[in-house]
Amino acid sequence: MTRLTELPAVLMAVRNLRRNRLRSVLAALGIVIGVLAIATLGIFGNVLQLAALNQLGGIGDQVIVSPNQDAGADSLTARDVAEIERIAEGRGTAVPLYSEGAAVSGTGGESGFANIYGTNTPAALFTAESGEVPERHRQGALVGTDLASEVDVRVGSLVEIGGNTYRVIAILAAGEDISPVQPGTAVVLPESEFAAGGYDQVVVQADSGEDARDVADEIRDRLNSREDRVSVLELSSILDQINEFLGLLNQFLLGLGAVSLIVAGVAIFNVMLMSTTERKGEIGLLRAVGVEKGDILRTLVVEATLLGVIGGVVGVVLSIGAALLLWYVSPIGLNIILDPSNAVYLVVAFAFGVVISLASGIYPAWKAANLEPVEALRD
Amino acid sequence: MTRSRSAGAEAEAAGVEPPLLLSGVDRTYERGGETVHALQDVNLAVDAGEFVAVVGPSGSGKSTMLNTLGLLDTPTAGDVLLDGREVSDADDARRTRLRKEYIGFVFQDFYLIPTLTATENVLLPTVYDADAKARPRAEDLLGRVGLGDRLTHRPTELSGGQKQRVAIARSLINEPEVLLADEPTGNLDTDTGRQVLGEFERVCDGDVAVVAVTHDELVTEYADRTVELVDGHLEVR
Ligand SMILES: Nc1ncnc2c1ncn2[C@@H]1O[C@H](COP(=O)(O)OP(=O)(O)O)[C@@H](O)[C@H]1O
Ligand SMILES: [Mg+2]
Repeated sequence: MTRLTELPAVLMAVRNLRRNRLRSVLAALGIVIGVLAIATLGIFGNVLQLAALNQLGGIGDQVIVSPNQDAGADSLTARDVAEIERIAEGRGTAVPLYSEGAAVSGTGGESGFANIYGTNTPAALFTAESGEVPERHRQGALVGTDLASEVDVRVGSLVEIGGNTYRVIAILAAGEDISPVQPGTAVVLPESEFAAGGYDQVVVQADSGEDARDVADEIRDRLNSREDRVSVLELSSILDQINEFLGLLNQFLLGLGAVSLIVAGVAIFNVMLMSTTERKGEIGLLRAVGVEKGDILRTLVVEATLLGVIGGVVGVVLSIGAALLLWYVSPIGLNIILDPSNAVYLVVAFAFGVVISLASGIYPAWKAANLEPVEALRD
Repeated sequence: MTRSRSAGAEAEAAGVEPPLLLSGVDRTYERGGETVHALQDVNLAVDAGEFVAVVGPSGSGKSTMLNTLGLLDTPTAGDVLLDGREVSDADDARRTRLRKEYIGFVFQDFYLIPTLTATENVLLPTVYDADAKARPRAEDLLGRVGLGDRLTHRPTELSGGQKQRVAIARSLINEPEVLLADEPTGNLDTDTGRQVLGEFERVCDGDVAVVAVTHDELVTEYADRTVELVDGHLEVR
């Protein structure tokens, strides 16, 4: 600042702003609010979008194929499963699952109800929090983390499910995904533990949302060509729509913020007009003693811009505080709050605040600088 | 102190141009369809070191004349010469530059900035220049008008006379050749007015020409020469 205030226009602008601190603070406050509005609404909208993507991202990559109960099918045939596996080939992994509900109890006596899945290849769908998810699942139980704490079991403990006892070989992570398969409250057993019949569903873990869509389309084409034998749940297109909606919401929020900044600009315009009118005599004197129009103009524009810079800095600081508060009070992760894309909104809000202030200062400054000194000095 | 009333003529005879000259100056205003003749055929030469008083009733054209002399206003007809150079057609930028170089102003309302100290107020005309020597000069000028012990006072801490003396110091910061004062004692009581006029007298000793326009007859006691404006006509008394 010391270097900057050596510039006469900046020095004079700072002096002038200090003369009516309350008014300067109030004018800058408008910009604070505007910048805060743009930055926080922008960041909140963006965080919402990021968080939704984070939460929903997984389901976008999954295709769940289950028998069409309306058509009387209650399991998938081996041919269906083979067909689905063939279609998924190269675009993801198809995991056929048995599923049923059952009571689960630990050795301590605590019990709970859980979805029991049967698969020999759980690694594509499940990740372990402790222990290890086997590539080929032949014995023992994989227990979801929430269920594990409910029935009080660890890796190495025993669980009792439907009259049989299993050793827990891994605790499954809950995962962020909203997914039809909820690993946190599930138990995964080898297929051999289920009465041989058809699979209850096939989950295709696709490599991308696009692959998921293609796989889903192809499954519908092949398996449902004559009659609807299977129902195919594929959420990536819904995800696209959610994304699109959130993007619109974000733009709407930004628009709201922009309106508040424009209102702040009007406030600065007003304050600058008021203070130049008040200082008319003084500006006339400066012109009389040989200060050039350009210097008067520059000083006044700098004054308005400084209001924007000060308001913008405070607004950005408050916005950062608001984002951290959001992290503090909501389950949203710090990684999402600190995502670099959020900084864009800070920069945009700050720049917009400064530009609006500068623009609001131009007309009052131009008017004051072009006042005939004689007019300005007349009472 | 005595000074010849024909100083202008003497200087011209010696081949030195007077710093300020009005020649056949008319200034009319159009107001609501009628023409107001604020100045009519005004001729005035002001010499270096001369203190000229212009008296006249309110509305007689005194401010118009002073503003014309100070290049704040342009005449409708006639010539304004500054150091022998014709300046009545100069554009705004040039007139601004000439004011900065040649002219100092003192007004009835002092136009001091309330938040600035006496020294800072005196420095005001120079803030847009990078002039390192301006500050010692400002302090020196304040000392010369008897305010050496008020350098860091703000206008609210000064009396009317002191404020006008700060304004005089400010008018001299650019080392002008001419100091123009419009009703400089208008807001002051008689005693304070005398002190301020005394300052003008001392300014003239430094070879600066002073023109003071006022309806205050007190000025005539201090001026080397008094002229009277009556309805836009200049009359020598
Ligand atoms: N901008 C203006 N427009 C119209 N009339 C003006 C203007 N300025 C001055 N006048 C008129 O010119 C005359 C002289 O005014 P002025 O120079 O201010 O007189 P003084 O300073 O002696 O009181 C007055 O009649 C005044 O009304
Ligand atoms: Mg007047």
